[in-house]
Amino acid sequence: MKKARIGTAVAAATALALTTTACGTSSDGGDGGEKNSLTWMTMLHTPTTPEKGGVIETALEEHTGMDVEFQWVPDASKEEKLNAALASGELADLVSLTVIDDTQVRSALTSGMFWDVEDYLDEFPNLAEIPDATLDAARIDGGLYGVPYQKPAARYGVVVRQDWLDNLGLEVPHTIEELTAVARAFTEDDPDGNGKDDTVGFYDREESFLVGFRSLAGYFGAGQKFEVTDDGQVVPAATTDAFKEAMEWYRDVYENGWVNQEFVTVQKQNQQDGIAQGKGGIVVTGLFEAKNYNALAQSADPDTPMEWALINDITYDGVERRILSDTNGGMGGWLAIPTTEVETEDELRAVLGFVDKLMDPEAFELMTNGVEGEHFEVDEDGVVTITDQTAWEQEVQPFSSSRPSELVTTFQSSDEYVNLGNELMAENTEYMVVNPAQSLTSETFDRQWSTIEQQLNDAYNQYITGQIEMADYEATIEKLRGQGLDQIVEEFSASYAEVNG
Amino acid sequence: MAVPGILYFLVFKYAPMGGLVIAFQDYMPFLGIGGSPWVGFDHFVRLFTEDTFLLLLRNTVVVSLLLLVFAFPVPIILALLLNEVRTRAFRRTVQSVIYLPHFMSWVIVASIFYVLLSTDGGSVNNVIVAAGGEPVPFLTDPDWLRPLYVGQEIWKGAGWGTIVYLAAMTAVDVQLYEAAELDGANRLQQTWHVTLPAIRPTIIVMFILAIGDFLELGFEHMFLVMNSLNREVGEIFDTYVYTAGIQNGQLSYAAAVGLFKGLVGLLLVVMANRLAKRFGEEGVY
Repeated sequence: MKKARIGTAVAAATALALTTTACGTSSDGGDGGEKNSLTWMTMLHTPTTPEKGGVIETALEEHTGMDVEFQWVPDASKEEKLNAALASGELADLVSLTVIDDTQVRSALTSGMFWDVEDYLDEFPNLAEIPDATLDAARIDGGLYGVPYQKPAARYGVVVRQDWLDNLGLEVPHTIEELTAVARAFTEDDPDGNGKDDTVGFYDREESFLVGFRSLAGYFGAGQKFEVTDDGQVVPAATTDAFKEAMEWYRDVYENGWVNQEFVTVQKQNQQDGIAQGKGGIVVTGLFEAKNYNALAQSADPDTPMEWALINDITYDGVERRILSDTNGGMGGWLAIPTTEVETEDELRAVLGFVDKLMDPEAFELMTNGVEGEHFEVDEDGVVTITDQTAWEQEVQPFSSSRPSELVTTFQSSDEYVNLGNELMAENTEYMVVNPAQSLTSETFDRQWSTIEQQLNDAYNQYITGQIEMADYEATIEKLRGQGLDQIVEEFSASYAEVNG
Repeated sequence: MAVPGILYFLVFKYAPMGGLVIAFQDYMPFLGIGGSPWVGFDHFVRLFTEDTFLLLLRNTVVVSLLLLVFAFPVPIILALLLNEVRTRAFRRTVQSVIYLPHFMSWVIVASIFYVLLSTDGGSVNNVIVAAGGEPVPFLTDPDWLRPLYVGQEIWKGAGWGTIVYLAAMTAVDVQLYEAAELDGANRLQQTWHVTLPAIRPTIIVMFILAIGDFLELGFEHMFLVMNSLNREVGEIFDTYVYTAGIQNGQLSYAAAVGLFKGLVGLLLVVMANRLAKRFGEEGVY
């Protein structure tokens, strides 16, 4: 409690100091004065929001010279929150748009609701450094309506319980076939040795179609959301033969009970809890997650035997090693600045300056590790140890997904999973498959995709759980062709032909 | 004295209705109502010609009917039972306990049922499995959605619903019971011939109000129990408005769907009220 009060006091003092400096430097003060406070609507990937005026927020304010008010949006309801905010025009000065395919986000971006920041980037040291490839991926209809989030280009892989593998005397799987065998063994051979039939192989969640399974389908040869056929057509990956083959395989896994049977009702948080409780041993997810699962399991049981094998080289049959990029080749969305809230170019520069400063190593360290001595320590080899895990989870972790760039530096961690994860994610880049339609233009896609994707998603779930057959899934695709799917393919293909001559 | 009330309705109920014009536009948030193009009845044409319309209508009507048949009488029966309880302390305790669920939000109710009914370690399925049965996928089986929905409505709302009826019963003249007792009526007959006729006007008013809410199921509850496996029987107008409007960003289309639902609701209230009057009751207006 005492700490919190000091924090507030510091925040107040900083704010006061800032106001004074701002008044001192600006010529007239008042309305035309320098912008020294901003609101930021951003995503929260943790269960609780960090305390207002907390230690990281205060430190960031100090570093950037900007008084920030965070408006946290829980990641699970980001579509609803963002769409409602966009529809009502109730936006913050800085808005994190991380759902890049969303119909309303795209139409808001192209309708002039946000500043085109292209011409201003060069004025800021860090923003000027954003690679061209990332900028290309971030452009919509040729406009750059926000500063792109820079993420590792391909973070996904498969993580498997190493201790369970050891218990059963199994090798780490590297092919789909081996993975299937492990899923069977994890379900049927009592890997945790408690004599009860209470484990499964894959532990999936509601977003299977969009997240976990999509990554698996990538091993079968399906593209990242879209792919280009031999005759130059840009088609949705979910309609391809490779995707369907993967679906058939996964349905078989489901029928055998090797994946949690009610995954369609499982939210991300439930999934993490289930994994921490040892209900399932295979997760298709970001390679950085193993560390979080362990932390969660340890908080419940300090003696948990949990150990993970991180795998980034699963292959299938004759398909070359590949991995779908979960971040559009390192572009994780936009930090967009609404023209309605930020009205003048000077104000825009102030907001961009803030984003730029967040990419400084100091700010990056604050949002990654926290405050040295309070959350972490560094030894002489530069190895970072998180000393207070609970405080880190509550005070630091919420900020980490808002870092405008995650590529500033890679810290050596005392946690082997972190280092291994970073290494494997870097390795992934070489085999990465990106969405060819990312920067192509299709008006129908911008308007209709959300609806089409949802219907595909439903049909996928119904097929996997055995409610419908493959013929019905194909019938759904046929039906969607008339509802805009064909038009999307046509428009993307035309746009693709134009770009690639 | 009526001014605050009138103001309330003007500001919070009538003024926002102006927003309904977006049902006849291709509304773009950035352009606003003034700048968005007018499209006439396009969205309504789309609604009535799409397959989803029949599905939505069927699901909404079926669930509403189930509620009317199964959930509506429960508070009445419960109130009659409570009315017969003579021990004050017992009656008070029961009343308080059955009011409680009313104060829980749907999120809590849905979570409780989720924890109980899940096949992945839910207590109910644990019992079923222990008794030698196969786990029942309550949460994903389309056949279970409606019973689940109605059951939750009853669990949450029945206790609270008794208040109105209990109040009406306190107004019944005690002399009527005494007279009936002298005539040799037993407790059941007293309930049937004295209590029920006395609360009939209340029941009818409540019934009309229930019919007015016929398609107005509310989005929250269904949204929380629905998933892609039971959407086929679960998608109702309210959830569809939400998915189409808020999730998929088709604001105008969603407004058209909502407007249609509102009109049908209005029609139903008027009809129910006429009907009540024809049967010699007072009605709500």
